[in-house]
Amino acid sequence: MTNKYDVIVIGGGHNGLVNAAYLARAGKRVLVLERRHVLGGAAVTEEVFPGFKYSVCSYVVSLLRPEIIRELDLPRHGLEILPLDGTFTPMLNGDYLWRVNDHAQTRREIARHSKLDAEAYDEYGKAMLEMAHFVKPIMSMTPPDPTSLNPKGLKDLLFLGKRFQKLPEEDKYNQVQLMTMSAVDFLDQWFETDVLKATMSASGIIGTFLGVRSPGTAYVLLHHYMGEIDGAFRSWGLSRGGTGAISNAIADAAREAGAEIRTEAAIEKIILKNGQAKGVVLKSGDEIYANVVSSSVDPRLTFMKMVGEEHLPDGFAEDLKRYKYRGSSGKVNLALDGLPDLKCRPGPGPHLRGAISISPGVEYMERAYDDAKYGRYSRRPYIDIVIPSLTDPSVAPAGKHVMSCFVQYAPYNLKEGTWDEKREEFGDTVIDTIAEHAPNIRELILHRQVLTPLDLEREFGLSEGNIFQGELTLEQLFFLRPAPGWAQYRTPIRNLYMCGSATHPGGGIMGASGRNAAMQILKDKK
Amino acid sequence: MPNYDVIIIGAGHNGLVTACYLAKAGLKTLVLERREIVGGAAITEEIHPGFRCSTLAHSAAPFFAPIVKDLQLTRHGLKIMTPPVRVLALSPERPAIGIYHDTARTISELEAVSSRDANNYPEFERSFARIGKMLAPLLATTPPAIEHPSAGELWNLSKLGRSFRGLGKKDAYRLLRWGPMAVADLVAEWFESETLRAIVAARGIFGAFAGPWSAGTSAGLLWQAAMDGHAIGASSFVRGGMGALTGALANAARDAGVEIRTGSDAAKIDINDEGAAKVSLKTGEEISARVFVSNADPRTTFLKLVDPVWLDPSFVLKVRNYRATGVSAKINLALSGLPSFTGVEDKNGAGKLSGRIQIGPDIDYLERAFDAAKYGDYSPRPYLDITIPSLLDPDLAPAGAHVMSVYVQYAPYKLKDGDWNSRREEFADSVVDVINNYAPNFKELIIARQVITPPDLEQTYGMSGGHIHHGEQSLDQSFTFRPLIGWAQYRTPIKGLYLCGAGTHPGGGVSGRPGANAAREIIKDFKKRDRK
Repeated sequence: MTNKYDVIVIGGGHNGLVNAAYLARAGKRVLVLERRHVLGGAAVTEEVFPGFKYSVCSYVVSLLRPEIIRELDLPRHGLEILPLDGTFTPMLNGDYLWRVNDHAQTRREIARHSKLDAEAYDEYGKAMLEMAHFVKPIMSMTPPDPTSLNPKGLKDLLFLGKRFQKLPEEDKYNQVQLMTMSAVDFLDQWFETDVLKATMSASGIIGTFLGVRSPGTAYVLLHHYMGEIDGAFRSWGLSRGGTGAISNAIADAAREAGAEIRTEAAIEKIILKNGQAKGVVLKSGDEIYANVVSSSVDPRLTFMKMVGEEHLPDGFAEDLKRYKYRGSSGKVNLALDGLPDLKCRPGPGPHLRGAISISPGVEYMERAYDDAKYGRYSRRPYIDIVIPSLTDPSVAPAGKHVMSCFVQYAPYNLKEGTWDEKREEFGDTVIDTIAEHAPNIRELILHRQVLTPLDLEREFGLSEGNIFQGELTLEQLFFLRPAPGWAQYRTPIRNLYMCGSATHPGGGIMGASGRNAAMQILKDKK
Repeated sequence: MPNYDVIIIGAGHNGLVTACYLAKAGLKTLVLERREIVGGAAITEEIHPGFRCSTLAHSAAPFFAPIVKDLQLTRHGLKIMTPPVRVLALSPERPAIGIYHDTARTISELEAVSSRDANNYPEFERSFARIGKMLAPLLATTPPAIEHPSAGELWNLSKLGRSFRGLGKKDAYRLLRWGPMAVADLVAEWFESETLRAIVAARGIFGAFAGPWSAGTSAGLLWQAAMDGHAIGASSFVRGGMGALTGALANAARDAGVEIRTGSDAAKIDINDEGAAKVSLKTGEEISARVFVSNADPRTTFLKLVDPVWLDPSFVLKVRNYRATGVSAKINLALSGLPSFTGVEDKNGAGKLSGRIQIGPDIDYLERAFDAAKYGDYSPRPYLDITIPSLLDPDLAPAGAHVMSVYVQYAPYKLKDGDWNSRREEFADSVVDVINNYAPNFKELIIARQVITPPDLEQTYGMSGGHIHHGEQSLDQSFTFRPLIGWAQYRTPIKGLYLCGAGTHPGGGVSGRPGANAAREIIKDFKKRDRK
């Protein structure tokens, strides 16, 4: 057979590309197949409106593993990360809370609201850094199987146990709370300022179907402290040219290592021969064969669509059906004629250069969630706004701007109506919400792109529009992601692997899943 | 020379259990109870002339069988009654569903609702029975020290590890998944009938500041299964009401030589460099002992009974952050007759109404009830756990009449508008209205009612925050973390002071297990001392 590859990677998202790059660097003959005309999956830049480059879905960088940046030498391949400083939270009483990387300045700002909280902020920061250091190595580890007697697995479990045991008692206490508590309950112990707790807890709910008071949301507070750029903790950033530039840099690294990448190559089926993956059939009908198929798309697409339920062991099929997606967020991208003018702090200025978080209070956040629980999008949603054109002028014409609005909650399943009927109405709600804080927003809008969970599913292949390819809740993390017993990137189908966000550690533009999977494949296929 | 070996503060069921075991081990033990009657939250009081009712807890958790045997409680007057029905869930438009101890009867009832659910039910019961069996030993175990586990603890852990593997992959992973899961998700995996889903979910949220959509609420089912091998709320009652249980415990205690003083309010535990030395009563009287055991909840113990100067500030902070905000209230009613619930053909009631009666027909109902509490209001449509004990125990009420015990959730300790004293009756009326929707003749039957709000639970019955479990039983406040990490072995930072209440492992519910576990640790320490 002429067109025989060592590995076919399904999906040209950042994880698929990372996976391909590492495999190619190890000398494997790799082919990446992407359904869309552009690479990047959810990490993509598109000029939806002439002259304006939207980071259509994912919009900030923070968790991209530094070892990946190093090992793939991404800066040489064009990756440039521009710091994104601060989170500005307008309040309903006309005041605001503005947190920046400069600790002293943030401290002064918090003191404006509460002296006690300013004190606590130091302690809090220290404690969270400790925790982040504790959790970090777990990110790049293949989850052990706690039910098997395999000595390696037992060793890993023991390693985790010992690590925990070695923590100072204070840290143990914090760690347990972080893993199990709600973001608000956790923050209540440190702070009294409502808006501070609200805007901090927001990071705990992103991409989940949980509220800031739901247990399990505290854990994600850590991610903020794990975001690393050049090893520096807690800094967030934008990549020049939009998040698509990250994918392109990785793709470039992969190509340089010899990987072949095809776009507009949608896959119809994964070819099986006596229970083993042999290759893929494209929608075009072409058949391509390989020793290994590595899928970066979510389990529902991989197994229910491309493999077919009839070929799955029943236990596994049931587990996959239990795996929860239920996307909860939407995205609104705007092309603006100028800058929004915030009521609480009029005029342009550095406060617009960071994230603008519409999370004015804990009750506001919780009520937004209540709407979603009963099957409607939030009447007043939580919105995370970034204006990348202030940091990276290349994404919009001079004097004009791009505004990226991440919106939660927008439940995939609506109780009344369909997303196709509600799309624009939803978009209006988002604009109305922003207008309460920046009344001039309406006049500025030159173009508006509204992405509902349904659009994320259709256009980007994210089942039920879940941006993490499945909820990041405790029962779907680590050795339970995506299915009990199948957290080691292998699948019940021999030679078929998973390398997407639906595997440990999942979520975010981290690339860890793609890298861990590559390591597993190389180990198995020596 | 101290007056006593041990002084136990609080004559709740756990305090009495601890007392019994200590006295049987030959320790001179005194129990101090603030109120005029023993029993704490497991009591029977006359709510209206001729009508007696379990004032607070109305069902044994169930009470731990080995304790009944060890302390010969049957001989001391304990009679447990178990009706055929566990729970009967009422529903406004759908037929009521009964869950019975008899699986076959349950299945035949479920057939009418959903054959799919009827099919899944046996495996649901079995898998929880299997997992419960595996977890059960944990309830009788002192949680291991994380810092320096002893050889014995490591041995127990390895035993636990083996029995965990013994579950087999499927159940083992179920256990791992279910622990942190929202109970609403768990029931959706098993059943399609909303009422059945709600019946199971109710166990997960009982007494918790959480709704069925809150992660971690499935753990409540696992504990329940560990307690009595079933995920669904148990219905085991005590003849004479819960007071008869603590009455029997008190008899057993006195029989074993325990001295019990009621009307004795312990104001402070006096501490010196050697540790706890004396307890001083409100009256000013001081009594010394070698060891003190608090049946009170952790917050009361460390923030009221003990002078914080003897505690490490970070420990005090942790105690302050220990979550114990109650969400439950209780309404006890004297009824002139048996309410007739629509859609329940059971005139004499003995068959279907004699267990728990649940109002809380679907998951959204339960979640909305919780929503109200989140914003500081009581639920306009609360989750109700009702019992009519006089059906099995006619002596509790005059002939033909009945007592009804209504557990109400959610009723948050702190109200956003007004306070509980000003809104008490309005609250009770709303609960009565809710019941009346399910039993149209209900209101006419009411002779008298007793309303117990969260602040009452705190002031009258001494549960701080009005939390019936002495603190949330969330993952971060369970097992080795109950009440606090590093202090889950019934000992406290103060030498000679122990905890034995629901604020310790395995927590709330009238099981007597914390008391028994605490006694074991205390006796261990006495032996160590005496060897020296």
